[in-house]
Amino acid sequence: MEKFDRIIFGDNQFFGINHMSQEKAQQLSEKFYNFQAILDVYQIAIDSKIRGIMLNSNDRASEICDHFVFNRSKYPELNWYPSIPYPHKYANLVSEKGIVPTINEILFKDNSAMGILGMITKGTAAVLGKDAVKLMQMLVDLEMKMFKGLNVKVVFLQNIITDLLLGYEVKDIFYEYCEYIRKKYNATPGLITQNMPRLKSKLEDWGIDNVVICSSFNKIGYLMSPNVETYIKSAKNNDSSKYQLMAMSTLASGAINPVEAFKFISRQNIQSVVFGASSKEHIKQSISLLK
Amino acid sequence: MQYKLKIAIIGFGRMGITHFSIINSHPSVEIVAVVDTSSTITGLLKKYTNTKSYDDFVKLFENETLDAVIICTPPKLHYPIAMLAAESNVHVFLEKPCTLNEEKARELSNVFDNKKLVNQVGYVNRFNDIFIEVKRLINKCSIGDLISFKSEMYSGTILKSDSGSSWRDSRESGGGATIDMAAHAIDLVNYLIGKPDKITGSNLTKIFSSNVEDAVNATFLYSNGITGTLNVNWSDESYRKPTNKIEIFGSKGKIVADQHGIKIFCKEKFEPENLIKGWNTIYITDIFKSVPFYVRGNEFTSQLYHFIESIIDKQKLNKCTFKDAADTLNVIEQIFEDYKTNGKI
Repeated sequence: MEKFDRIIFGDNQFFGINHMSQEKAQQLSEKFYNFQAILDVYQIAIDSKIRGIMLNSNDRASEICDHFVFNRSKYPELNWYPSIPYPHKYANLVSEKGIVPTINEILFKDNSAMGILGMITKGTAAVLGKDAVKLMQMLVDLEMKMFKGLNVKVVFLQNIITDLLLGYEVKDIFYEYCEYIRKKYNATPGLITQNMPRLKSKLEDWGIDNVVICSSFNKIGYLMSPNVETYIKSAKNNDSSKYQLMAMSTLASGAINPVEAFKFISRQNIQSVVFGASSKEHIKQSISLLK
Repeated sequence: MQYKLKIAIIGFGRMGITHFSIINSHPSVEIVAVVDTSSTITGLLKKYTNTKSYDDFVKLFENETLDAVIICTPPKLHYPIAMLAAESNVHVFLEKPCTLNEEKARELSNVFDNKKLVNQVGYVNRFNDIFIEVKRLINKCSIGDLISFKSEMYSGTILKSDSGSSWRDSRESGGGATIDMAAHAIDLVNYLIGKPDKITGSNLTKIFSSNVEDAVNATFLYSNGITGTLNVNWSDESYRKPTNKIEIFGSKGKIVADQHGIKIFCKEKFEPENLIKGWNTIYITDIFKSVPFYVRGNEFTSQLYHFIESIIDKQKLNKCTFKDAADTLNVIEQIFEDYKTNGKI
């Protein structure tokens, strides 16, 4: 399968996400409230030869996408690795209204976000026909709108969705998602998970390959179910012509120092690493350690 | 072949969706049916997972032989469903807040205890590794005798006015920030410090909702002299996801904790726990326990696996029972009563 950037720049730092400390998350959220501060960090990463960017389709991401589309000539060729959807947007609506009204609200009520009559017709049919595949395709299209005009390499499904579906063991939805990403977006399907060994083994059972699997990978086993030993073994036995493995949370949100963390990662059978950092010093340090 | 517990999930909203995924990963469980009034939902489940469904819980109990049910309907249905489950000798996991009032929760608690049926409520913070550690540190006397505390919870759940038609905008259906969200912050107090003896200074504030409160605060008093405050707001957009914070002040120091970390200030070093004089920090990455399958946070898996293990292993002490939930409802009712009597200017 196609090879991807070995080092990819992530986005958690921009959106007030830190899995270890809510205080750190708050500080990041305050720092990057200013859009220019985000662009400045991207510039540092790009100046440090980063060419791969992972970005979750949250509310602020569309501003970032717009910037890179409109200012394309100012940057070298960049590879984009979107992750969809932004789950919290849906989660609150589902709690409040239930699943069906949420789908209706997202797909049909906000016409400004939709704008395409064709989609609405397709959607009505999806709900009436109880067709989860069509529904999935519509939600993918909705989330992917903001990335139009960017060079998209892999489209990742966020871990909350991947792992939820993994629990249901629904082969069809995984299969159809992967096919849709290949055909419609001419990109490689990606799945983010906190259960890498289980997911990989299921995909093998189902005969779904040519997929990038992105998961937490750190020596303390943080956000790695069932445990770090199973991850190491699963990665070791992986055929990278079928599944490319991408590591995230390598520093376990800061619990492991970068030297130790990347030394551990370099010993694993992993094809790419996603890292996030918000200062020049940390970006340069991470890149030099990962090289 | 190992016997698998036969389980049904009743109510397929946000929690039902999550619980299905988690419990389906348990090697000793077989999901035999789901119940929901939406034919779209049950149709999708049938089509993609081949799960049998019912549109009415009465039919479920009439037609299936079950070991346990997970109930995640709107709260007003919890009591009748759980009662029917007890009649069929079925173990029950109920989403919080158990029932709509304390009396019904006590009644359920008695019925289930008498029949020796496992009964658990989804106060998920009791399964969070950080709050378990806070409880352990309090019990070890790391901050001495408890003097005062504050328990807070914030989220951006309700951020616009509603028509008032959702169950969340009706107290009779179990809506409102107190029953639906503050219940977590109150249960955390009951778990860590104990149930308060008196409630005073309660306020219920509407921000967006028409019929129920979006924010609540109250003061908790204890006969042993401990005092505490509760401050909860579900219309605070500055929070990306629901966040619990607790600060506990004691005679030898204090603990400040949220779901991700603990800070402990010790007046003197506390050798049994290797705590230095001054500030100590414990992150979730220092103390987390891995779970076999992760969907929405370790605690969501831990609580359901605990429920299953409590059914399989009769010696295992069931945590977060209907009785615990009745205690939380008692506090909630006291807040409503105090506000009704004293809350208006």
